[in-house]
Amino acid sequence: MTHSILSTLRLCGLALLLAGCASPQNNYDPIEPVNRGIFSFNRAVDRTVVRPVAQTYADYTPGPIKDGTSNFFSNVDDLFGSVAALFQGKFGEAGTSAGRVIVNTTFGMFGLFDWGTRMGLDKGKADFGQTLGHWGIGSGPYLMVPFYGPMTLRDSADPLVRLSWGPIDYIDPLWGQIAYYGVYLVDARSKLLPLDAMLDSQIDPYAYLRDAYLQARWNKVYDGLPPHPLPLGEPDDDDDVPANSNASGVASEAATATMVSGDAAASAPVPASTPASVPASAPDAATP
Amino acid sequence: MKKWIASLVIALLPAFALAAADPEQIVRGVSNDVLVILKQGDKDPAKVREQVDARVSPLADYTRMTSLAVGKYWRQATPEQQQALTREFRTMLVRTYMSALTIYKNAEVDVKGTRPGADADEQTVRTEVSIPGQKPIPLDFYFEKLGSNWKVFDIAVDGISFTVNNRNQFGAVIRKDGIDGLIKTLSDRNAKLAGGGKQGG
Repeated sequence: MTHSILSTLRLCGLALLLAGCASPQNNYDPIEPVNRGIFSFNRAVDRTVVRPVAQTYADYTPGPIKDGTSNFFSNVDDLFGSVAALFQGKFGEAGTSAGRVIVNTTFGMFGLFDWGTRMGLDKGKADFGQTLGHWGIGSGPYLMVPFYGPMTLRDSADPLVRLSWGPIDYIDPLWGQIAYYGVYLVDARSKLLPLDAMLDSQIDPYAYLRDAYLQARWNKVYDGLPPHPLPLGEPDDDDDVPANSNASGVASEAATATMVSGDAAASAPVPASTPASVPASAPDAATP
Repeated sequence: MKKWIASLVIALLPAFALAAADPEQIVRGVSNDVLVILKQGDKDPAKVREQVDARVSPLADYTRMTSLAVGKYWRQATPEQQQALTREFRTMLVRTYMSALTIYKNAEVDVKGTRPGADADEQTVRTEVSIPGQKPIPLDFYFEKLGSNWKVFDIAVDGISFTVNNRNQFGAVIRKDGIDGLIKTLSDRNAKLAGGGKQGG
Protein backbone atom coordinates (compact mmCIF):
# COMPACT_ATOMS: atom_id res chain seq x y z
CA MET A 1 0.00 0.00 0.00
CA THR A 2 2.87 2.32 0.88
CA HIS A 3 4.27 1.55 -2.50
CA SER A 4 1.19 2.60 -4.32
CA ILE A 5 0.99 5.84 -2.35
CA LEU A 6 4.63 6.44 -3.05
CA SER A 7 4.26 5.81 -6.75
CA THR A 8 1.14 7.94 -6.85
CA LEU A 9 3.12 10.77 -5.29
CA ARG A 10 5.92 10.29 -7.75
CA LEU A 11 3.50 10.25 -10.61
CA CYS A 12 1.77 13.38 -9.54
CA GLY A 13 5.11 15.10 -9.18
CA LEU A 14 6.02 13.91 -12.64
CA ALA A 15 2.72 15.00 -14.07
CA LEU A 16 3.24 18.38 -12.44
CA LEU A 17 6.56 18.73 -14.17
CA LEU A 18 5.25 17.57 -17.50
CA ALA A 19 1.85 19.12 -17.80
CA GLY A 20 1.51 21.39 -14.84
CA CYS A 21 -1.16 18.99 -13.54
CA ALA A 22 -3.50 20.72 -15.97
CA SER A 23 -5.36 17.60 -16.99
CA PRO A 24 -6.07 15.34 -14.06
CA GLN A 25 -8.30 12.83 -15.82
CA ASN A 26 -8.23 13.06 -19.57
CA ASN A 27 -5.61 14.36 -21.99
CA TYR A 28 -8.15 16.09 -24.16
CA ASP A 29 -10.34 17.79 -21.60
CA PRO A 30 -8.60 20.98 -20.41
CA ILE A 31 -11.80 22.74 -19.36
CA GLU A 32 -13.42 19.75 -17.68
CA PRO A 33 -15.17 21.70 -14.88
CA VAL A 34 -16.85 24.00 -17.43
CA ASN A 35 -17.74 21.04 -19.64
CA ARG A 36 -19.24 19.19 -16.70
CA GLY A 37 -21.42 22.18 -15.89
CA ILE A 38 -22.71 22.35 -19.45
CA PHE A 39 -23.22 18.59 -19.46
CA SER A 40 -25.44 18.81 -16.37
CA PHE A 41 -27.39 21.61 -18.04
CA ASN A 42 -27.79 19.61 -21.26
CA ARG A 43 -28.92 16.56 -19.32
CA ALA A 44 -31.55 18.63 -17.49
CA VAL A 45 -32.86 20.08 -20.78
CA ASP A 46 -32.84 16.61 -22.27
CA ARG A 47 -34.71 15.01 -19.40
CA THR A 48 -37.39 17.70 -19.20
CA VAL A 49 -37.96 18.53 -22.88
CA VAL A 50 -35.96 16.80 -25.59
CA ARG A 51 -36.13 13.19 -24.49
CA PRO A 52 -39.90 13.19 -23.76
CA VAL A 53 -40.60 14.79 -27.15
CA ALA A 54 -38.33 12.32 -28.93
CA GLN A 55 -39.92 9.42 -27.03
CA THR A 56 -43.42 10.56 -27.96
CA TYR A 57 -42.32 10.94 -31.57
CA ALA A 58 -40.83 7.47 -31.58
CA ASP A 59 -43.88 5.90 -29.90
CA TYR A 60 -46.75 7.57 -31.76
CA THR A 61 -45.50 8.50 -35.24
CA PRO A 62 -46.45 5.97 -37.94
CA GLY A 63 -43.48 4.02 -39.24
CA PRO A 64 -43.60 5.27 -42.85
CA ILE A 65 -43.55 8.90 -41.69
CA LYS A 66 -40.60 8.23 -39.38
CA ASP A 67 -38.75 6.45 -42.19
CA GLY A 68 -39.50 9.26 -44.64
CA THR A 69 -38.23 11.85 -42.17
CA SER A 70 -35.05 9.91 -41.49
CA ASN A 71 -34.49 9.33 -45.18
CA PHE A 72 -34.97 13.00 -45.97
CA PHE A 73 -32.29 14.13 -43.51
CA SER A 74 -30.10 11.21 -44.50
CA ASN A 75 -30.24 12.43 -48.11
CA VAL A 76 -29.06 15.89 -47.08
CA ASP A 77 -26.36 14.18 -45.04
CA ASP A 78 -25.23 12.18 -48.10
CA LEU A 79 -24.77 15.39 -50.08
CA PHE A 80 -22.31 16.74 -47.50
CA GLY A 81 -20.81 13.29 -46.94
CA SER A 82 -20.00 13.07 -50.63
CA VAL A 83 -18.06 16.36 -50.53
CA ALA A 84 -16.30 15.37 -47.29
CA ALA A 85 -15.22 12.08 -48.89
CA LEU A 86 -14.05 13.88 -52.04
CA PHE A 87 -11.83 16.20 -49.99
CA GLN A 88 -10.19 13.10 -48.48
CA GLY A 89 -9.47 11.67 -51.90
CA LYS A 90 -11.96 8.84 -51.30
CA PHE A 91 -13.35 9.00 -54.82
CA GLY A 92 -15.26 5.73 -54.61
CA GLU A 93 -17.17 6.75 -51.52
CA ALA A 94 -17.71 10.27 -52.87
CA GLY A 95 -19.17 8.84 -56.07
CA THR A 96 -21.42 6.38 -54.24
CA SER A 97 -22.75 9.09 -51.95
CA ALA A 98 -23.33 11.45 -54.88
CA GLY A 99 -25.12 8.63 -56.68
CA ARG A 100 -27.33 8.14 -53.66
CA VAL A 101 -28.23 11.82 -53.63
CA ILE A 102 -29.12 11.77 -57.33
CA VAL A 103 -31.22 8.60 -57.09
CA ASN A 104 -32.91 9.48 -53.82
CA THR A 105 -33.65 13.09 -54.73
CA THR A 106 -35.31 12.11 -58.01
CA PHE A 107 -36.81 8.63 -57.74
CA GLY A 108 -36.91 8.90 -53.98
CA MET A 109 -39.05 12.06 -54.08
CA PHE A 110 -36.65 14.57 -52.52
CA GLY A 111 -35.12 11.97 -50.31
CA LEU A 112 -38.26 10.58 -48.70
CA PHE A 113 -37.46 7.11 -50.02
CA ASP A 114 -34.07 5.49 -49.93
CA TRP A 115 -33.86 3.72 -53.29
CA GLY A 116 -30.09 4.11 -53.29
CA THR A 117 -29.57 1.45 -50.63
CA ARG A 118 -31.83 -0.95 -52.50
CA MET A 119 -29.75 -0.36 -55.64
CA GLY A 120 -26.60 -1.35 -53.76
CA LEU A 121 -25.35 2.19 -53.13
CA ASP A 122 -24.43 1.87 -49.47
CA LYS A 123 -24.48 4.84 -47.17
CA GLY A 124 -21.07 6.44 -46.66
CA LYS A 125 -19.32 7.47 -43.48
CA ALA A 126 -17.44 10.68 -44.26
CA ASP A 127 -17.78 13.97 -42.40
CA PHE A 128 -15.79 17.22 -42.38
CA GLY A 129 -14.17 16.70 -38.98
CA GLN A 130 -12.83 13.46 -40.39
CA THR A 131 -11.63 15.32 -43.50
CA LEU A 132 -9.56 17.69 -41.35
CA GLY A 133 -8.25 14.75 -39.31
CA HIS A 134 -7.39 12.94 -42.53
CA TRP A 135 -5.00 15.79 -43.40
CA GLY A 136 -3.31 15.57 -40.03
CA ILE A 137 -5.17 18.15 -37.99
CA GLY A 138 -5.37 17.12 -34.33
CA SER A 139 -8.67 16.95 -32.50
CA GLY A 140 -8.01 19.97 -30.29
CA PRO A 141 -9.74 20.25 -26.93
CA TYR A 142 -12.92 18.38 -26.06
CA LEU A 143 -15.91 20.67 -25.72
CA MET A 144 -19.40 20.16 -24.40
CA VAL A 145 -21.65 22.38 -26.50
CA PRO A 146 -24.80 23.75 -24.84
CA PHE A 147 -28.04 22.28 -26.26
CA TYR A 148 -25.97 20.02 -28.50
CA GLY A 149 -23.55 17.61 -26.92
CA PRO A 150 -19.96 16.40 -27.21
CA MET A 151 -17.58 17.82 -29.79
CA THR A 152 -13.93 18.59 -30.31
CA LEU A 153 -12.69 21.84 -31.76
CA ARG A 154 -11.70 20.13 -35.01
CA ASP A 155 -14.94 18.21 -35.36
CA SER A 156 -17.00 21.36 -34.97
CA ALA A 157 -16.10 21.90 -38.64
CA ASP A 158 -18.78 19.41 -39.61
CA PRO A 159 -21.86 21.04 -38.06
CA LEU A 160 -20.51 24.46 -39.02
CA VAL A 161 -20.20 23.51 -42.70
CA ARG A 162 -23.63 21.92 -42.70
CA LEU A 163 -25.14 24.92 -40.99
CA SER A 164 -23.54 27.40 -43.41
CA TRP A 165 -24.42 25.60 -46.63
CA GLY A 166 -27.39 23.56 -45.48
CA PRO A 167 -30.92 23.77 -46.82
CA ILE A 168 -31.56 26.34 -44.14
CA ASP A 169 -30.64 29.02 -46.70
CA TYR A 170 -33.53 28.00 -48.88
CA ILE A 171 -36.11 28.19 -46.14
CA ASP A 172 -37.35 31.71 -45.95
CA PRO A 173 -39.53 32.34 -42.92
CA LEU A 174 -37.92 32.04 -39.50
CA TRP A 175 -40.59 29.62 -38.29
CA GLY A 176 -39.73 27.40 -41.24
CA GLN A 177 -36.08 27.30 -40.19
CA ILE A 178 -37.04 26.55 -36.60
CA ALA A 179 -39.38 23.79 -37.75
CA TYR A 180 -36.69 22.27 -39.99
CA TYR A 181 -34.13 22.04 -37.21
CA GLY A 182 -36.76 21.07 -34.68
CA VAL A 183 -37.77 18.02 -36.70
CA TYR A 184 -34.12 17.29 -37.46
CA LEU A 185 -33.22 17.27 -33.76
CA VAL A 186 -36.20 15.14 -32.74
CA ASP A 187 -35.41 12.63 -35.48
CA ALA A 188 -31.74 12.51 -34.49
CA ARG A 189 -32.51 12.28 -30.77
CA SER A 190 -35.08 9.52 -31.21
CA LYS A 191 -32.38 7.31 -32.75
CA LEU A 192 -30.29 7.61 -29.61
CA LEU A 193 -33.10 6.56 -27.26
CA PRO A 194 -32.01 2.90 -27.08
CA LEU A 195 -28.62 4.01 -25.77
CA ASP A 196 -29.98 6.14 -22.92
CA ALA A 197 -30.13 3.29 -20.43
CA MET A 198 -26.49 2.48 -21.07
CA LEU A 199 -25.33 6.02 -20.39
CA ASP A 200 -27.63 6.53 -17.42
CA SER A 201 -26.36 3.40 -15.68
CA GLN A 202 -22.73 4.55 -15.69
CA ILE A 203 -20.92 5.61 -12.55
CA ASP A 204 -19.81 8.82 -14.27
CA PRO A 205 -21.87 9.42 -17.42
CA TYR A 206 -19.84 12.52 -18.27
CA ALA A 207 -16.50 10.67 -18.37
CA TYR A 208 -18.10 7.72 -20.15
CA LEU A 209 -19.58 9.83 -22.93
CA ARG A 210 -16.40 11.86 -23.34
CA ASP A 211 -14.12 8.84 -23.60
CA ALA A 212 -16.54 7.12 -25.98
CA TYR A 213 -16.78 10.18 -28.22
CA LEU A 214 -13.02 10.72 -28.35
CA GLN A 215 -12.32 7.06 -29.11
CA ALA A 216 -14.96 6.98 -31.83
CA ARG A 217 -13.53 10.09 -33.52
CA TRP A 218 -9.98 8.76 -33.26
CA ASN A 219 -11.09 5.54 -34.91
CA LYS A 220 -13.01 7.35 -37.61
CA VAL A 221 -10.16 9.61 -38.69
CA TYR A 222 -8.10 6.47 -39.36
CA ASP A 223 -10.98 4.65 -41.07
CA GLY A 224 -11.03 1.99 -38.39
CA LEU A 225 -7.28 1.34 -38.55
CA PRO A 226 -5.71 3.65 -35.95
CA PRO A 227 -1.95 3.20 -35.44
CA HIS A 228 -2.46 2.79 -31.68
CA PRO A 229 -5.27 3.19 -29.13
CA LEU A 230 -6.02 6.78 -28.17
CA PRO A 231 -4.22 7.61 -24.90
CA LEU A 232 -7.06 8.89 -22.76
CA GLY A 233 -5.20 9.69 -19.56
CA GLU A 234 -5.51 6.55 -17.46
CA PRO A 235 -2.74 4.20 -18.57
CA ASP A 236 -2.86 0.42 -18.88
CA ASP A 237 -0.70 -0.24 -15.85
CA ASP A 238 2.12 1.20 -13.75
CA ASP A 239 4.86 0.36 -16.17
CA ASP A 240 3.87 2.57 -19.02
CA VAL A 241 2.77 5.50 -16.89
CA PRO A 242 5.67 7.81 -17.56
CA ALA A 243 6.63 6.16 -20.84
CA ASN A 244 6.48 9.30 -22.92
CA SER A 245 9.17 8.76 -25.46
CA ASN A 246 9.30 12.46 -26.30
CA ALA A 247 10.64 13.50 -22.93
CA SER A 248 14.18 12.41 -22.21
CA GLY A 249 14.90 11.35 -18.68
CA VAL A 250 11.36 10.17 -18.28
CA ALA A 251 12.24 6.63 -19.28
CA SER A 252 14.68 6.30 -16.44
CA GLU A 253 11.98 7.59 -14.12
CA ALA A 254 9.79 4.73 -15.33
CA ALA A 255 12.52 2.24 -14.59
CA THR A 256 12.90 3.62 -11.08
CA ALA A 257 9.18 3.48 -10.50
CA THR A 258 9.20 -0.17 -11.50
CA MET A 259 12.07 -0.88 -9.14
CA VAL A 260 10.40 0.95 -6.29
CA SER A 261 7.19 -0.96 -6.71
CA GLY A 262 9.27 -4.12 -6.69
CA ASP A 263 7.07 -5.61 -9.32
CA ALA A 264 8.36 -8.71 -11.01
CA ALA A 265 6.00 -8.17 -13.90
CA ALA A 266 8.28 -5.58 -15.43
CA SER A 267 8.61 -7.87 -18.40
CA ALA A 268 4.88 -7.79 -19.07
CA PRO A 269 4.05 -6.61 -22.56
CA VAL A 270 4.01 -2.85 -22.57
CA PRO A 271 2.03 -1.29 -25.38
CA ALA A 272 4.66 1.18 -26.49
CA SER A 273 1.85 3.10 -28.04
CA THR A 274 0.25 4.29 -24.84
CA PRO A 275 2.13 7.34 -23.69
CA ALA A 276 0.51 8.72 -20.61
CA SER A 277 1.15 12.33 -19.79
CA VAL A 278 0.44 14.21 -22.96
CA PRO A 279 0.30 17.95 -22.44
CA ALA A 280 -3.25 19.13 -22.74
CA SER A 281 -2.24 21.88 -25.13
CA ALA A 282 -1.09 19.46 -27.80
CA PRO A 283 -3.36 16.45 -27.54
CA ASP A 284 -2.35 14.67 -30.70
CA ALA A 285 1.34 15.08 -30.03
CA ALA A 286 1.14 11.49 -28.83
CA THR A 287 1.02 10.36 -32.43
CA PRO A 288 4.46 9.11 -33.32
CA MET B 1 -21.08 -50.57 -41.13
CA LYS B 2 -20.53 -48.00 -43.83
CA LYS B 3 -23.52 -46.09 -42.62
CA TRP B 4 -22.20 -46.23 -39.09
CA ILE B 5 -18.85 -44.77 -40.10
CA ALA B 6 -20.53 -42.08 -42.12
CA SER B 7 -22.69 -40.99 -39.22
CA LEU B 8 -19.66 -41.00 -36.94
CA VAL B 9 -17.78 -38.75 -39.35
CA ILE B 10 -20.74 -36.41 -39.57
CA ALA B 11 -21.06 -36.34 -35.80
CA LEU B 12 -17.39 -35.53 -35.34
CA LEU B 13 -17.14 -32.92 -38.09
CA PRO B 14 -18.40 -30.01 -36.03
CA ALA B 15 -15.92 -30.90 -33.29
CA PHE B 16 -13.03 -30.77 -35.73
CA ALA B 17 -14.30 -27.55 -37.24
CA LEU B 18 -14.52 -26.05 -33.78
CA ALA B 19 -11.03 -27.10 -32.81
CA ALA B 20 -9.55 -25.61 -35.96
CA ALA B 21 -11.60 -22.44 -35.86
CA ASP B 22 -9.60 -19.26 -36.29
CA PRO B 23 -10.85 -15.92 -34.95
CA GLU B 24 -12.55 -14.97 -38.21
CA GLN B 25 -14.51 -18.21 -38.32
CA ILE B 26 -15.46 -17.79 -34.68
CA VAL B 27 -16.80 -14.30 -35.36
CA ARG B 28 -18.80 -15.50 -38.36
CA GLY B 29 -20.31 -18.34 -36.39
CA VAL B 30 -21.15 -16.34 -33.29
CA SER B 31 -22.55 -13.32 -35.11
CA ASN B 32 -24.82 -15.55 -37.18
CA ASP B 33 -26.09 -17.28 -34.06
CA VAL B 34 -26.60 -14.03 -32.16
CA LEU B 35 -28.53 -12.47 -35.05
CA VAL B 36 -30.76 -15.54 -35.18
CA ILE B 37 -31.46 -15.16 -31.46
CA LEU B 38 -32.25 -11.45 -31.91
CA LYS B 39 -34.50 -12.10 -34.93
CA GLN B 40 -36.48 -14.77 -33.16
CA GLY B 41 -37.06 -11.87 -30.81
CA ASP B 42 -38.29 -13.35 -27.59
CA LYS B 43 -40.63 -10.82 -25.99
CA ASP B 44 -38.73 -11.03 -22.72
CA PRO B 45 -35.51 -9.02 -23.05
CA ALA B 46 -33.99 -10.84 -20.08
CA LYS B 47 -34.40 -14.11 -21.93
CA VAL B 48 -32.78 -12.78 -25.10
CA ARG B 49 -29.93 -11.53 -22.94
CA GLU B 50 -29.55 -14.96 -21.36
CA GLN B 51 -29.47 -16.71 -24.72
CA VAL B 52 -26.93 -14.31 -26.18
CA ASP B 53 -24.82 -14.51 -23.05
CA ALA B 54 -24.83 -18.31 -23.15
CA ARG B 55 -23.55 -18.22 -26.74
CA VAL B 56 -20.96 -15.48 -26.23
CA SER B 57 -19.55 -16.06 -22.75
CA PRO B 58 -17.55 -19.25 -23.40
CA LEU B 59 -15.48 -17.21 -25.86
CA ALA B 60 -14.75 -14.29 -23.57
CA ASP B 61 -11.77 -13.75 -21.29
CA TYR B 62 -13.55 -11.69 -18.66
CA THR B 63 -10.50 -11.51 -16.41
CA ARG B 64 -8.41 -9.71 -19.00
CA MET B 65 -11.36 -7.51 -19.93
CA THR B 66 -11.65 -6.45 -16.31
CA SER B 67 -7.93 -5.83 -15.98
CA LEU B 68 -8.10 -3.55 -19.03
CA ALA B 69 -11.04 -1.67 -17.56
CA VAL B 70 -9.38 -1.24 -14.17
CA GLY B 71 -6.06 -0.22 -15.73
CA LYS B 72 -3.02 0.42 -13.61
CA TYR B 73 -4.82 -0.43 -10.34
CA TRP B 74 -5.35 -4.04 -11.38
CA ARG B 75 -1.98 -5.21 -10.12
CA GLN B 76 -2.51 -3.55 -6.76
CA ALA B 77 -5.62 -5.69 -6.23
CA THR B 78 -5.41 -8.98 -4.33
CA PRO B 79 -6.49 -12.13 -6.19
CA GLU B 80 -9.76 -12.07 -4.24
CA GLN B 81 -10.37 -8.47 -5.23
CA GLN B 82 -9.55 -9.29 -8.85
CA GLN B 83 -12.10 -12.10 -8.78
CA ALA B 84 -14.76 -9.87 -7.26
CA LEU B 85 -14.03 -7.13 -9.78
CA THR B 86 -14.25 -9.58 -12.66
CA ARG B 87 -17.57 -10.95 -11.40
CA GLU B 88 -19.14 -7.51 -11.03
CA PHE B 89 -17.71 -6.10 -14.26
CA ARG B 90 -18.95 -9.10 -16.19
CA THR B 91 -22.46 -8.66 -14.81
CA MET B 92 -22.33 -4.97 -15.70
CA LEU B 93 -21.08 -5.60 -19.23
CA VAL B 94 -23.68 -8.19 -20.02
CA ARG B 95 -26.50 -6.04 -18.66
CA THR B 96 -25.61 -2.70 -20.21
CA TYR B 97 -24.46 -3.78 -23.63
CA MET B 98 -26.96 -6.50 -24.24
CA SER B 99 -29.73 -4.02 -23.53
CA ALA B 100 -28.59 -2.03 -26.57
CA LEU B 101 -28.54 -5.13 -28.79
CA THR B 102 -32.22 -5.00 -29.71
CA ILE B 103 -31.53 -2.17 -32.19
CA TYR B 104 -29.53 -4.63 -34.23
CA LYS B 105 -32.35 -7.05 -34.87
CA ASN B 106 -32.24 -6.42 -38.62
CA ALA B 107 -28.52 -5.90 -38.80
CA GLU B 108 -26.02 -7.65 -40.99
CA VAL B 109 -22.47 -8.39 -39.92
CA ASP B 110 -19.78 -8.26 -42.60
CA VAL B 111 -16.36 -9.59 -41.68
CA LYS B 112 -13.88 -7.13 -43.17
CA GLY B 113 -10.69 -8.97 -42.33
CA THR B 114 -8.15 -9.68 -39.65
CA ARG B 115 -5.48 -7.39 -38.29
CA PRO B 116 -2.38 -8.64 -36.47
CA GLY B 117 -2.38 -7.74 -32.79
CA ALA B 118 0.36 -6.71 -30.38
CA ASP B 119 2.07 -10.09 -30.77
CA ALA B 120 1.71 -13.38 -32.60
CA ASP B 121 -0.89 -14.64 -30.14
CA GLU B 122 -3.21 -11.71 -30.75
CA GLN B 123 -5.47 -10.89 -33.66
CA THR B 124 -8.19 -8.37 -34.28
CA VAL B 125 -11.16 -9.32 -36.42
CA ARG B 126 -12.73 -6.28 -38.04
CA THR B 127 -16.38 -6.34 -38.95
CA GLU B 128 -19.04 -3.86 -39.93
CA VAL B 129 -22.58 -3.96 -38.65
CA SER B 130 -25.03 -2.44 -41.06
CA ILE B 131 -28.67 -1.61 -40.76
CA PRO B 132 -30.23 -0.79 -44.16
CA GLY B 133 -29.93 2.93 -44.98
CA GLN B 134 -27.80 3.78 -41.95
CA LYS B 135 -24.11 4.37 -41.63
CA PRO B 136 -22.36 1.05 -41.00
CA ILE B 137 -20.85 0.72 -37.53
CA PRO B 138 -17.38 -0.78 -37.19
CA LEU B 139 -17.27 -3.63 -34.68
CA ASP B 140 -13.85 -5.03 -33.79
CA PHE B 141 -13.12 -8.19 -31.81
CA TYR B 142 -9.74 -8.48 -30.09
CA PHE B 143 -8.62 -12.08 -29.82
CA GLU B 144 -5.81 -13.69 -27.84
CA LYS B 145 -4.66 -17.29 -27.98
CA LEU B 146 -5.00 -19.03 -24.62
CA GLY B 147 -3.63 -22.53 -24.94
CA SER B 148 -5.23 -23.82 -28.12
CA ASN B 149 -8.30 -21.61 -27.90
CA TRP B 150 -8.90 -18.13 -29.14
CA LYS B 151 -10.63 -15.89 -26.63
CA VAL B 152 -11.98 -12.36 -26.96
CA PHE B 153 -10.42 -9.89 -24.52
CA ASP B 154 -11.87 -6.66 -25.87
CA ILE B 155 -14.58 -5.44 -28.19
CA ALA B 156 -14.73 -2.03 -29.81
CA VAL B 157 -17.92 -0.56 -31.22
CA ASP B 158 -17.23 2.33 -33.56
CA GLY B 159 -13.74 2.37 -32.09
CA ILE B 160 -15.09 2.61 -28.53
CA SER B 161 -13.50 -0.07 -26.40
CA PHE B 162 -15.88 -1.82 -23.99
CA THR B 163 -13.09 -1.98 -21.46
CA VAL B 164 -10.93 1.13 -21.84
CA ASN B 165 -13.99 3.34 -21.85
CA ASN B 166 -14.52 2.50 -18.17
CA ARG B 167 -10.99 3.28 -17.08
CA ASN B 168 -11.45 6.93 -16.20
CA GLN B 169 -14.66 6.46 -14.24
CA PHE B 170 -13.31 3.37 -12.45
CA GLY B 171 -10.02 5.11 -11.68
CA ALA B 172 -11.84 8.02 -10.09
CA VAL B 173 -13.71 5.67 -7.74
CA ILE B 174 -10.53 3.77 -6.83
CA ARG B 175 -8.63 6.98 -6.06
CA LYS B 176 -11.46 8.03 -3.76
CA ASP B 177 -12.64 4.80 -2.12
CA GLY B 178 -10.01 2.22 -3.03
CA ILE B 179 -10.46 -1.05 -4.91
CA ASP B 180 -13.02 -2.32 -2.41
CA GLY B 181 -14.92 0.90 -3.01
CA LEU B 182 -15.13 0.11 -6.72
CA ILE B 183 -16.24 -3.47 -6.02
CA LYS B 184 -18.97 -2.15 -3.75
CA THR B 185 -20.08 0.55 -6.22
CA LEU B 186 -20.34 -2.01 -9.03
CA SER B 187 -22.17 -4.64 -7.00
CA ASP B 188 -24.61 -2.05 -5.61
CA ARG B 189 -25.35 -0.87 -9.13
CA ASN B 190 -25.75 -4.38 -10.47
CA ALA B 191 -28.14 -5.25 -7.64
CA LYS B 192 -30.15 -2.09 -8.23
CA LEU B 193 -30.37 -2.63 -11.99
CA ALA B 194 -31.33 -6.27 -11.54
CA GLY B 195 -34.19 -5.17 -9.27
CA GLY B 196 -35.28 -2.42 -11.69
CA GLY B 197 -35.07 -4.74 -14.69
CA LYS B 198 -37.69 -7.09 -13.28
CA GLN B 199 -40.24 -4.33 -13.28
CA GLY B 200 -39.91 -4.09 -17.02
CA GLY B 201 -37.35 -1.28 -17.15
